[in-house]
Amino acid sequence: MQQLTSFATDYTRYVLTGGTKFYAWMGSLAVLILGMMYVFYLQNTDGLIVTGMTSQIHDGLYFANLVFLVGVAAGAVTIVFPAYVYHHEGMHKVTVLGEMLAITAVIMVMMFVFAHMGRPDRLWHMIPPWGIYSFSSMLGWDVMVLNGYLFLNFICGFYYLWVKYTGGKVNNKWFMPLVYVSIVWALSIHTVTAFLISTMPARPMWFHSMMPIRFIVTAFAAGPCLIILAFLIVRKNTKFWIEDSAINLLSTIVTWCLGLAIFLTMSEIVVELYARTEHANGLYYLMFGLHGLTGLVPWFWSSVFLMLTSFVLFLIPSVRTNYKLLPILCVMTFTGIWIEKGMGLIVPGFIPSPIGEVTEYYPTFVEVLMTLGIWAFGFFILTILLKGAIGILQGDIKYRGQAAAAK
Amino acid sequence: MILAFCCGMMTSAVAQEQKAAAQAPTAQAPQETVCFESRKGASEVTKRDLKPGWPNVKCSPKTGAALWYGDPYDGTVPMGKMPGLDKIPEGHAVVKPRSGNLAVLPLCGTACHNGVGPKFSPPTLPKSKKPVPIPTMEGLLPDAKDLQHGRGRIWCLDCHHTAKRNMLVDNYGDPVSIDQPQLLCGKCHGDKMRDWRDGIHGKRIGEFASTGKKRWFTCTECHNPHNVQDGARNKGFVQLAPEAPPQLPKGMKDAKHERVHGIAH
Amino acid sequence: MTPNESPSADSVQEKPSQCQAQPAAADPSAPGLKTSRRGFLKAGGALSMSSLMGTAALMVQSDDAAAAVEWAEHFQKNYRLMTDAEKAEARARLERRYSSEYGKKVTVDTTGPQPGMLMGYALNIRKCIGCRRCVHACVEENNQSRGERAGEKIEWIQVLRMERGEFSKDKMNQGYPEGLGIQVGGNAYTPAGQVLEGQYHYEPQAVPEKDATYMPIACMQCEKPPCVKVCPVRTTYREADGPVVIDYNWCIGCRMCMGACPYWARRINLTTPVLPKEEMNPVTHYLGNRPRMRGVVEKCHWCLQRSRQGRYPACVEVCPVGARKFGNLLDPESEVSLILARKNVFRLKAELNTFPKFFYFYD
Repeated sequence: MQQLTSFATDYTRYVLTGGTKFYAWMGSLAVLILGMMYVFYLQNTDGLIVTGMTSQIHDGLYFANLVFLVGVAAGAVTIVFPAYVYHHEGMHKVTVLGEMLAITAVIMVMMFVFAHMGRPDRLWHMIPPWGIYSFSSMLGWDVMVLNGYLFLNFICGFYYLWVKYTGGKVNNKWFMPLVYVSIVWALSIHTVTAFLISTMPARPMWFHSMMPIRFIVTAFAAGPCLIILAFLIVRKNTKFWIEDSAINLLSTIVTWCLGLAIFLTMSEIVVELYARTEHANGLYYLMFGLHGLTGLVPWFWSSVFLMLTSFVLFLIPSVRTNYKLLPILCVMTFTGIWIEKGMGLIVPGFIPSPIGEVTEYYPTFVEVLMTLGIWAFGFFILTILLKGAIGILQGDIKYRGQAAAAK
Repeated sequence: MILAFCCGMMTSAVAQEQKAAAQAPTAQAPQETVCFESRKGASEVTKRDLKPGWPNVKCSPKTGAALWYGDPYDGTVPMGKMPGLDKIPEGHAVVKPRSGNLAVLPLCGTACHNGVGPKFSPPTLPKSKKPVPIPTMEGLLPDAKDLQHGRGRIWCLDCHHTAKRNMLVDNYGDPVSIDQPQLLCGKCHGDKMRDWRDGIHGKRIGEFASTGKKRWFTCTECHNPHNVQDGARNKGFVQLAPEAPPQLPKGMKDAKHERVHGIAH
Repeated sequence: MTPNESPSADSVQEKPSQCQAQPAAADPSAPGLKTSRRGFLKAGGALSMSSLMGTAALMVQSDDAAAAVEWAEHFQKNYRLMTDAEKAEARARLERRYSSEYGKKVTVDTTGPQPGMLMGYALNIRKCIGCRRCVHACVEENNQSRGERAGEKIEWIQVLRMERGEFSKDKMNQGYPEGLGIQVGGNAYTPAGQVLEGQYHYEPQAVPEKDATYMPIACMQCEKPPCVKVCPVRTTYREADGPVVIDYNWCIGCRMCMGACPYWARRINLTTPVLPKEEMNPVTHYLGNRPRMRGVVEKCHWCLQRSRQGRYPACVEVCPVGARKFGNLLDPESEVSLILARKNVFRLKAELNTFPKFFYFYD
């Protein structure tokens, strides 16, 4: 017990102290978070009317980010899997960082859920015994797997850190099974999220069985991109050294998953546009516009450009091992997938509506600020979690070693 | 996470205080509101309060059409006898008499047509089915100039009783009330009559159970018998102004794009 | 934040029942729990949650009886799980709140489904003239929001306008590819009788227009409703007598049902509904037309407050051409049963296996 309190105090003290750069970073994030809290208040007094959502297009930026971030959370498995299944040395050292990213992403997903709901004050209706859990609802399953994933990553990550902190040994008897479970679970969160939208025949654009695998490959491209960026930043700004082999493996994973994602998108385009039924109207709207409305067309083509270009560049080994170019590629891929899976997937699902009405969706300032605020909150948590984890891995925080924490 | 959950719940819970009711202007329009029911020019209803805050009818401010019934049986009387209606309990089929609203109807049988029919032999078979141009009659009933019913095959006295002009004729040539046009119309439109009797054709309001009390809308409440073809449309129901279109969703200025640009294929 | 918070001023003299609500205001975690408390105690931890929210209630304000009534609403159960006593309590609570809010005696019916009754609907698309009276009658009856801001006006019925289309002799030899043989003729995209093109904003001088036919749609009250399946809190469900209903107090506003509905029948209250006092229909049903709140989903329920009392839905009564028919599918003599027996009927989007109880027919 005493160990636990000292872990908590040491950890908190360590993560809350830093240089000017650290405070500036956290401070600017905090400003955005304050903005987010204000618009959340607006949404819960005026209602969702302050957003661009309508009865026609009732899922927008929030749902798009939610779907995308589930992918980022699942993407953390690209570290855990090679580390524990293939015993990749470089990866093993940094597994816990992946877990911290997963925790952050799931928390961000939860926040987007709050932002998305019409009645966030009633979310307890989903949780037994006070509420009702519906086994027939994909959203119910999604909430369950997401919380499970959060729990698993929290346990695995913080247990590992705890062991490092106390200087003990990892109890593999229950730790390893939990790790394997979390690997499979990572797939489940994104599969269920895909089912969330692909089980609706009312929305033909989503209604195909390719959705889960498309979700997973895009997740395994976008997630590692973010991880690579985080690793490169960590390498530059801390004394913690992440091995090249880990980063290179991640960029290889990104390459092939991105290739698969592009392949699946192309397949969908061929299937839909060859027959060109009414059911292809959503995709057609996305690619070329419908009834003269073309709001998403630039988004789609910029996403195509970003993904194709970065894929071609990723294929060249000398480019993807060049750590000056790699961040640019990662940002390109990340943005491309964010568009493709967010605005480019969620919004055209509602255009045209099931009765054929074509309307457009324009995110409002409230939505943009809320989204930025939640991302800022995510980075805020991620910074804290990564800082703490690195501190422990480096031995800066240690049981009965408070002196080390000060420097 | 739990903390976030609770915080989110509280923040939004705090915001629950808004009230739905908007302030109501208490000014009451003193003038009488009369709205038409099915078609313009047929049955009408005057708005009044059955009890405080519960009107007998709500009318459209745009078109003047009845939009909502507080009491479906307002101003009705039992429909009277009708063949094939034995399953419905006595008094459960009611109609709203129109005869009271037709100001000149009582005069019809006395002033001009004082019980004397035309001198045809037999009296219901004229030489030509074209109504005789009588300025007074055409002033009262402009449709008589070019009677659009039966495409020139029928004329006034095929429907109106020869001797009692304020009544109609049934299957057997006997006079029937102008409030029971179905006994007349069914002569030719037997299939529609059967569908009407069974509730498939025409309009009813009240209780929906097959034996429930209903106000039946009679033929002439929806169809203008003198102009049933409504010109080139040939649909039986006159054109009327539609109610206001729905609101456009946020971000849309109009819905023209749906008409202007077809779907590309 | 709470500008028009005291509607009780004009209603307090006629509402002695509000006195009962006064002590409740002092302890917002307790009101309305007399019977539902058992469930909460069973749930254990719920108490901490309710006291947390109760504190929030106190922080805001709570002299107002109506507000206290509202707070009790926060802790009520899903309507289907309520006992009869809890239903009566919820009903009394709502009647109290609505009556004081709208300044007139509002009743909230809780009549359940009757044995031997399965509601069905039929619509004669040959008759419909597109006058939209049903759309507005529905709003008069069902207390939808009718504000001016975009998104504040909610209508449950849409009357779709379908082109009659025009085939042209000039285009008979046109199309693509030219040359060896035309695969796609020049008249291919003539929108003759085109269904579901979403044209319901038409505004001509008079209807029916010569070049159009009309097809009204609303909730189809499916026997296998996809919206019910996706609801994570089971707040929307199919009642035994047919209609798919929503417990507005249990809805979390996640809008999954709106995504799942193939008929676009559901609407979200983007903001607190704008419902002027004098236009409010005081005869309501708990699962039907009672005033909704911000952030919940609503839809057609076949005027449960009327149909459970044996009366036709408002849209049926107002249709000037009698295109709308409603009745008991289990009664062979009812209008809908006779239509199913005699006429050619179809269900919209039948390929989705939703099995609507809303049938289209034509003479």
